[in-house]
Amino acid sequence: MELEAPLERCITCSDEGLPMRVVSLADETGQAVCVDESGADQSVAVDLLESVAIGDDILVHAGVAIAHMGRCRV
Amino acid sequence: MKFVDEYRDAELGRAVAGEILATVEAGRHYKLMEVCGGHTHSIYRYGVDDLLPENVELVHGPGCPVCVIPMGRLDDAISLAHQPNVIFTCFGDMLRVPGSHGTLLDAKAEGADVRMVYSPLDALRMARENPDRDVIFFAIGFETTAPSTALTLKRARADGIKNFFCMCNHVMILPPLRALLESPDLRLDGFIGPGHVCTVVGARPFEFIPVDYNKPIVIAGFEPLDLLQAIQMILLQLKEGRCEVENQYARVVPNDGNLRALEVMSEVFALRPHFEWRGLGFISQSALKLSDAYADFDAELRYSVPGVRVADPKACQCGEVLKGVIKPWECKVFGSACTPEHAIGTCMVSPEGACAAYYNFGRFAREREVV
Amino acid sequence: MSGAISEREAKVLNIIETARAKRARFRDKQITMAHGAGGKATQTLIEGLFVPVMGTGTLEQMADAGSVEIGGVKLSMTTDSFVIKPLRFPGGSIGELAVNGTVNDLAMSGARPVGLTLSLILEEGLDSEVLREEVEAIAAAAREAGVEILGGDTKVVERGHADGMFICTTGIGHVDSRATLSPAGLKPGDRILVSGTIADHGTAIMLSRGEFELDAHIESDTCSLWPAAESLLAAAGPELRCMRDATRGGVASVLNELARASGVAIVVRERDVPINPTVAAAAELLGIDPMYVANEGKFVAFVAPEGVDAALAALRSVPGCEAAAEIGEVRREPPGMVLVETSFGGRRVMDQLVGDPLPRIC
Repeated sequence: MELEAPLERCITCSDEGLPMRVVSLADETGQAVCVDESGADQSVAVDLLESVAIGDDILVHAGVAIAHMGRCRV
Repeated sequence: MKFVDEYRDAELGRAVAGEILATVEAGRHYKLMEVCGGHTHSIYRYGVDDLLPENVELVHGPGCPVCVIPMGRLDDAISLAHQPNVIFTCFGDMLRVPGSHGTLLDAKAEGADVRMVYSPLDALRMARENPDRDVIFFAIGFETTAPSTALTLKRARADGIKNFFCMCNHVMILPPLRALLESPDLRLDGFIGPGHVCTVVGARPFEFIPVDYNKPIVIAGFEPLDLLQAIQMILLQLKEGRCEVENQYARVVPNDGNLRALEVMSEVFALRPHFEWRGLGFISQSALKLSDAYADFDAELRYSVPGVRVADPKACQCGEVLKGVIKPWECKVFGSACTPEHAIGTCMVSPEGACAAYYNFGRFAREREVV
Repeated sequence: MSGAISEREAKVLNIIETARAKRARFRDKQITMAHGAGGKATQTLIEGLFVPVMGTGTLEQMADAGSVEIGGVKLSMTTDSFVIKPLRFPGGSIGELAVNGTVNDLAMSGARPVGLTLSLILEEGLDSEVLREEVEAIAAAAREAGVEILGGDTKVVERGHADGMFICTTGIGHVDSRATLSPAGLKPGDRILVSGTIADHGTAIMLSRGEFELDAHIESDTCSLWPAAESLLAAAGPELRCMRDATRGGVASVLNELARASGVAIVVRERDVPINPTVAAAAELLGIDPMYVANEGKFVAFVAPEGVDAALAALRSVPGCEAAAEIGEVRREPPGMVLVETSFGGRRVMDQLVGDPLPRIC
């Protein structure tokens, strides 16, 4: 648990939202593989979003996708 | 793949800073509150405040759920962490927050099994991997974070997991804002709205701010250019005499929020009649607990906790600092009894709280011209 | 945003100033991880306990290495312990680190590393193959750095009392006659060089622990810094003010320490700081500021303006330092502070670590 550096911000109160792209459809547990900006893979819970498709850009907070990006520009 | 580069472009930033300079009226002082701790962080990280004219002042709001947790709740958490056979999990942010007798980090040094997680789903995985231990997740955060806790509990129930528990401290952003706005001595001209909270709750719930209290609010993203644009949008509203909810972060925030997340939250959580906020006191219907349907997962029911209320120190004036009534250095205990090393109030607890920032960097602000 | 300040505000600022300038007192009830993190808590331990109780002269400078003169020969001496999990990580291992860490403390003091002693603390049950690999790694790193292993000690502790193995190394080196280095010697106008991309080591370690669901390949930068240090001494001997390896606490901690020691301000241009894009992306994801992340093969050098071009050219010609860059300069005001000009164009203060390696709260 010891980190080699301080975390610069906290997840909760920074209300961190990481943009990621979906690269595989969700499995039966609701987890989908997504890539971040650096191209690294992460398993993300996508069951709070409707109609997630491969190639979608999503916003991830604490391991859970909470919003689609770029879908709701008015 | 690049998502955000254009929102960090220094040239675009300079252009918006120029527009801001052209919008402000000389001789008028503008006090804007960024509600969300994430905004506070971006402002600090990119030096956004350094790009604003002298008469535009940013005030850090109550949007840091870690800092507003009262000491009594933290004492309860530490007592849970010390229970035999418990793995106590929380986001890293909580570890350093002082209760009345030390932090969770101190509890860890004393032998409690305290572990940091990045997601409540990691805590649930720990429960699966340690079937003979009780895993408690210290849930904290605004509406951005509450859905992830709710989803985790839903999955725990679906999978029949019996050794996963949650100490729920989720809070909501609107009640403290309303409490601030109700205050007769409030000195704020407008609000930068919390973009990620709005991805969940939507933009609509903020309409009472212009309608009932006559203050503009602009929902903003978290990149430095987002913030400058939002500030400019607020200043334009003020200049043109408009007062409304505007959405600078429309690329992510839908007007109605995330209905599925709201649905899961309403299934898993129930409103607490009231909840204490450090520095702000009791605010009714401002926090969430587990609903009756999820009572089996409630750590506070599984274990008895002291539940002792620890009052904010009397001399602490965090409430006034948050409302913008006084500046940090005008507080009675600032710099004497209350320092970053021995913080009394919420504004000093967080390094980016108004008081801690002023304590550490006040001299820089004073000497900006000569730097 | 400053404007005129009232008398009362000035008074409050002065009180803070006085409090901050006071030597830290060590009053903590017990040791926490924070005391080992290289930030304020570590400083409190050193300034509040070690130096006042044990210090007699050289220790007062609170450097990693200290020098002594024996028979007209100036020697530099240092010691370091290595407790790292996992023992092997992309780009290195504990054995390699144990040699390079100590060699680098000598190199930064301007001394050619000559010899090391080695103390091994092994955990009952450690796989002999793992030990053999580390012994070989130590030998290889020592050869590479041109130092001899002069002696050592071995202890075994019960299972559960050490993470496989701990290593302590003590090193001795010959101070180069061209070195006129001092942490208190920084002057306004001095330029700041960094010897290559930052934050590689700490990021590699964090990722190799597998605690984050993040899959990026980043290697530690562990290596001997003597060749780079020697090239700087040769190119800019008298103009070279100070060198520091940016280990625990990263570049930010080194800069804060030296700004305090010299009573000067330091301004860093964020866009000029070299960083591997994969490391930058990983740090962003983890919510970590790379300026605070540990390095094991990078250092910061302060050079007088007239020597900076020669110094930078010399540094870049050393293998492994091709990405060396000038990242900022020393100014007069405000003393003791490190400022960053962000890539977005604003300025902010880059403070000392608040005190532990754990997340800042907000």
